[in-house]
Amino acid sequence: MEKQDIIKSFKDSLFTGLIALALFGPIVGLRTASKGEGLFITPQWGVVFLLVGLCILGRFLININSARRKEFKIFSTLSSKFSSITEDKAKHFAITGILFALVFPFLPFTDRYFMDVAIMILTYIMLGWGLNIVVGLAGLLDLGYVAFYAVGAYSYALIATTFGWSFWICLPLAGLFAAFFGILLGFPVLRLRGDYLAIVTLGFGEIIRIILINWYEVTNGPDGITGIPRPSFFGLPFKRSPDEGEMSFHTFFGLEYSTMHRIIFLYYLILILALITNYFTLKIRKLPVGRAWEALREDEIACKSLGVNPTNTKLTAFAIGAMFGGFAGSFFATRQAFISPESFTFIESAIIVAIVVLGGMGSQTGVVLASIFLIGITEIFRDLEQYRMIAFGGAMVLIMVFKPKGILANRKPTILMHGDKN
Amino acid sequence: MSNLLSVEKLTMKFGGLVAIDDLSFDAKNNQITSIIGPNGAGKTTVFNCLTGFYKPTTGQMYLHQADNKVSLRKYTDFKIAHVAKVARTFQNIRLFPAMSVLENLLVAQHNELMIASGYSLYGLLNLKSYRDKEQLAVDKAKYWLDIIGLTPRADDNAGDLPYGDQRKLEIVRAMCIEPKLLCLDEPAAGLNPKESAELNKLLKFIKTEKKTGILLIEHDMSVVMGISDHVVVLNYGKKIFEGTAEQTKKSKEVIEAYLGVDE
Repeated sequence: MEKQDIIKSFKDSLFTGLIALALFGPIVGLRTASKGEGLFITPQWGVVFLLVGLCILGRFLININSARRKEFKIFSTLSSKFSSITEDKAKHFAITGILFALVFPFLPFTDRYFMDVAIMILTYIMLGWGLNIVVGLAGLLDLGYVAFYAVGAYSYALIATTFGWSFWICLPLAGLFAAFFGILLGFPVLRLRGDYLAIVTLGFGEIIRIILINWYEVTNGPDGITGIPRPSFFGLPFKRSPDEGEMSFHTFFGLEYSTMHRIIFLYYLILILALITNYFTLKIRKLPVGRAWEALREDEIACKSLGVNPTNTKLTAFAIGAMFGGFAGSFFATRQAFISPESFTFIESAIIVAIVVLGGMGSQTGVVLASIFLIGITEIFRDLEQYRMIAFGGAMVLIMVFKPKGILANRKPTILMHGDKN
Repeated sequence: MSNLLSVEKLTMKFGGLVAIDDLSFDAKNNQITSIIGPNGAGKTTVFNCLTGFYKPTTGQMYLHQADNKVSLRKYTDFKIAHVAKVARTFQNIRLFPAMSVLENLLVAQHNELMIASGYSLYGLLNLKSYRDKEQLAVDKAKYWLDIIGLTPRADDNAGDLPYGDQRKLEIVRAMCIEPKLLCLDEPAAGLNPKESAELNKLLKFIKTEKKTGILLIEHDMSVVMGISDHVVVLNYGKKIFEGTAEQTKKSKEVIEAYLGVDE
């Protein structure tokens, strides 16, 4: 390293310090505090100098590192190795993943907490796979996906609490309702693409949430719906003491009562739902409608010139994506036994979109990896309380820096003329 | 030779700008009709009217079929390709770049495959009737790929092909919808002499073997003069000349339109 370089990077870091000072000075340095009457300013120059110092030092280190061209070498080799493994052996990876997911509840270290996190990750995987149809395949950026999740959850909750129908009847109904709302959203946005579409879908998500808050007579407003029936194991409820003349899960199988039974059941339920979503997506991608979705993402005008009806194609994508969101929503309702509009805020949509985009648009395995990575990291840092969102943001930045196209960004043709070359 | 397409008193205005002014011409079956003219003459606008991208201000366009004639004004958007069977290519190639060559040709057969797959139901059930139809679609794609010599690259992304091959792929993709009329917007733009010779061969093949009428916009005179049966010359939205390629070369109006008038 030349002496010149050091001086140059030192100057550069001093400049960074200047910017940091301009930013932190007013924001951190001048703190307002209320003492008795009115507000007073308490300066905190010590903290400001600490922060500015950190910025200068950080910038200096980055400069020196990049001059040496050794920056992040470990990271890039790691990530390239990682992707080469998963790309070559996507199938093996999927099978091992499913096997692991199947035996996961019975592993020795699996406790209640792990199961809860696993259920949460699986819910996000399912939502990610559902949204992947809309964003990954059809290329329609939907920032209001949580609306369909909410519609599914509320349909299930309302039908189950009003009519007392079982989970297995309500589940398809919730899916249908969500699909209907998918079409409802689809119609006004048919002519929009890209940023404009994103804004309208974002608005749609908020509309649904605000309706849920304000339509008190039906949705019970911000108080939410309580006492949503739990799912039963083919008619056998998970209760400690079943009603007169009724069998419960543990008495039927002659087991000791444990709350884990229900958790394990829920785990398998969401696993099966997610796998159905995945199987369906992989299948439909190879059908004409799936190819039309991808063609629409590539070039809408070319689609029209070939006689592909863009309206129907877009609406089916919205409807099917929404349907899976609805399924996931009813699962969420039955798991929590309580839902309120609080659970369906924009941040949920943002997380799901992040999972799809960071996983690599259209990649099914990518969604799994991104869900585990993003949800897992926020869980690991749960002890840090409010700072765990920094970990979430950091994870996103890391993926964007090292894998700008997403963790897995390879697309395989849906049909091959010459067979698999591998 | 019978008429395939008749354009009658077609006018297209954008606000105060008259892009096409009272244009009438015919295109015949099994012929290549070229539309030429200086930049901004309104050639692509004619195409956009014919293929449903614009709705003309006034005028009629008829496609003659076995014994009746179909007004193209009735169809807009995707229906032009789906119902009226008019296919087109674009001045700046519009393939599906991230999809494979074969997939590009299958999307062109979307409507037949959609019915064959029972609107996805039979397809999801993986019925034999659907798989057979899909195989037929792949065979048709292979037939066209053999003709343009791209079969070895069938599984590569369309966006990875060389420019000349992309042009040819776009043409055969349009042919996969089995059009009655094929509209080509500057197919030879950006091709080297060898590639435009190959293009000529392909277009002649489509004309003679497939009995498809071709409407061609082109600046490359080697292509226009080499293969056109009939030439229509436009300038400022008006037809200034119509005739065979030989007549066009000698026409005073055409030379003036391209090179200007002697002072």
